[in-house]
This record gives sequence, structure tokens and C-alpha cells, in this order.
Amino acid sequence: MTCRDAANLLPLFFDGELDPHQMRAVALHSTRCTTCEEDLRHLERMQDLINQNVNRAVDAIDFDTFWLAIERRLPAVQMPWSARLREWWNRGSDHPWVLRFPAIAAAMAVAVFALYLLTHGIQPTTQPVAPQLAAADSTSTIESLETDVDSVAVLNDPETRTMVLWVNDVQNGDLP
Amino acid sequence: MIAAARSGLVCLLVLCGLTGAAAAQESLATETSEPRTRGVEIHIGAVLASNSGQEFDQRLASMQRQFNALFAYSSYRLVKEQRQQVAWGERVAFDIPGGRYMVVIPKEFKNDRVLMKVMLIEGTRPIIDTALSLRDHATFLVGGPRERNGVLILSIGATAIR
Repeated sequence: MTCRDAANLLPLFFDGELDPHQMRAVALHSTRCTTCEEDLRHLERMQDLINQNVNRAVDAIDFDTFWLAIERRLPAVQMPWSARLREWWNRGSDHPWVLRFPAIAAAMAVAVFALYLLTHGIQPTTQPVAPQLAAADSTSTIESLETDVDSVAVLNDPETRTMVLWVNDVQNGDLP
Repeated sequence: MIAAARSGLVCLLVLCGLTGAAAAQESLATETSEPRTRGVEIHIGAVLASNSGQEFDQRLASMQRQFNALFAYSSYRLVKEQRQQVAWGERVAFDIPGGRYMVVIPKEFKNDRVLMKVMLIEGTRPIIDTALSLRDHATFLVGGPRERNGVLILSIGATAIR
């Protein structure tokens, strides 16, 4: 390889854009040719200067508000629920059992719960619920009461858990 | 942020699932602990309570504590006792001293309780018409109807037939 051939290839060599065969030939030539080696050093210095200037300019930029400014200009994208769910599901592919097993189990449990509600949770309401007149203890409860006597009393003894419906079938009758 | 939301969603789903499973288990437990009943045995007792004498009928020994706690009579005598088995929804009538009769219609057995309709009738006059929820094996008392020189205390008991 001559200096004229190498001179055309030096910038590409410096950027690593030559094929292996040309790279080896230019490298071999530059080790033997002081002119071409000097040209390579020039390229290196130029690269360093460019990097320094660019880095200095980049450092001068305030990136604290950079992404906020970009986000403000981005239009809000409304993803459909199906797409969000698919994305969430696919993100779990790195640790599939950590995410998917509980999710599948939870989905099955929710399905069982829904089935339970459908079969047990809806009670027929064909009969109106009578007002509860007395619920003094856990033994007896009076759900409804109609009477033809003048007065009715409900006696309750919590100690013996006994409830008494006391009817006075004569006027001015006494309680027991 | 996304990971936290994902974890929260998973926890919520698991919580819903556990709640559902617990409810289903509770329902299953209730169903298994509450076997089907063939009917109910109704027990009616008519007690004449008065302040004449100091008699306490020994057949009422199991209710002595209740009577002493609730009433101030000095004498208690069992004047009639009847037991009758009946299917759910059917009616059963009991004769009560003094020309009265009591009609009991057991409706259903739910949560270890007997739901029933009780009517106390005197002639053509309904003294009371009530719906009761009575714990299995428990006794409810109806008192007040005048009888001779005292009052009647009617005990109504229900025991589900398994």
C-alpha cells in the first residue's frame, strides 16, 4: 500500500469503517510511514478537540426541565384498557410465574366469587320484609304482630333468654 | 410506579378472590352444618298461673327459672301439653283451655332457627297473629289470657326433625 492509497483511507480507518483486510493493510502501513502516522495523530487531536467542544456545550444545557418541557408538548395518548392490560401482561414475561400465577389464581378466585354471588347473593324479594318489632335476644325474634286486644307487651329476660308476648284480653288488665 | 401499580392490582385481585373463597366456604359450611329437615315438632304447653296457693308443677321444673324471673305469680300448674309433628308449610291446631285454640304454621328452617306463624284465636276473634323466628329447641311464651282465677301462659317450642 502506498501513502497515496493510505491517505484516502485514513479517515475511514480512524472511524473503524474499513473491512478487516483494509484495516490490517492501513495499520501495517502507518506503523512504517511517519507521514501517515502523523496524519493519524492529527485526526486523533481533531477528534479530541471536537469531543471537548461538544461536551462543553452539552454540559451547558440544563436537562432538569428538558423532559418536562417535552412531556408538556406531547399530546396525551389514551390507550385502551385492552392494550394496557396486554402491555402489563407482556412486561411480566421476564418473571412469568411471579406475576402470572397470582394473576391467574386471582382471576379464578374472582370468577368463583362472581359465581357465588350469582347463585347465593341474589335473594328473591317476593315477600315484603315486616318491620321487626322486637329482637331482645338471640333466642326469639318477633317478625310481625297483629292483635285484636287492647294492649300487648313484650317481656324479655336476657338472663334466661326468654321472651314473652303478654296480651291483656280484658280492659285495664294487669301485667304479671 | 408501574411495578407498584401492578403489585397493587394483583393484591386487590387476590383479596377479592380470598373474600369470595371465604364467602363460598362459609356458605358451604352453613349448608353442610344445616342438613335438610323433614319437618318440625311443635310443643305447646298451657300453664295456669295464679296467686292462689304455692303450687309449682314439677313437670315445669325446666322452666321454673324463667317463670320466677318473668312473673310474680305464686302458683304454676301445667293444665295441658301437646306435641305434634308437622311438615313445613302445613298448619297444626292446638286446643287451649277456655275455648281458645292456637294455630301454628312452621314456615322454614334457616340459620338454626324455625320461622313460624302463630295465631291465638278465641271463638272467631284472633287475639294475636304473629310471625316468630325461634331458635331450634327454644321456647317462646305467650301469656295473658284470663282463665278462672289466674292467667294462661302458653309455651311454644319448636324442634326441627332431622
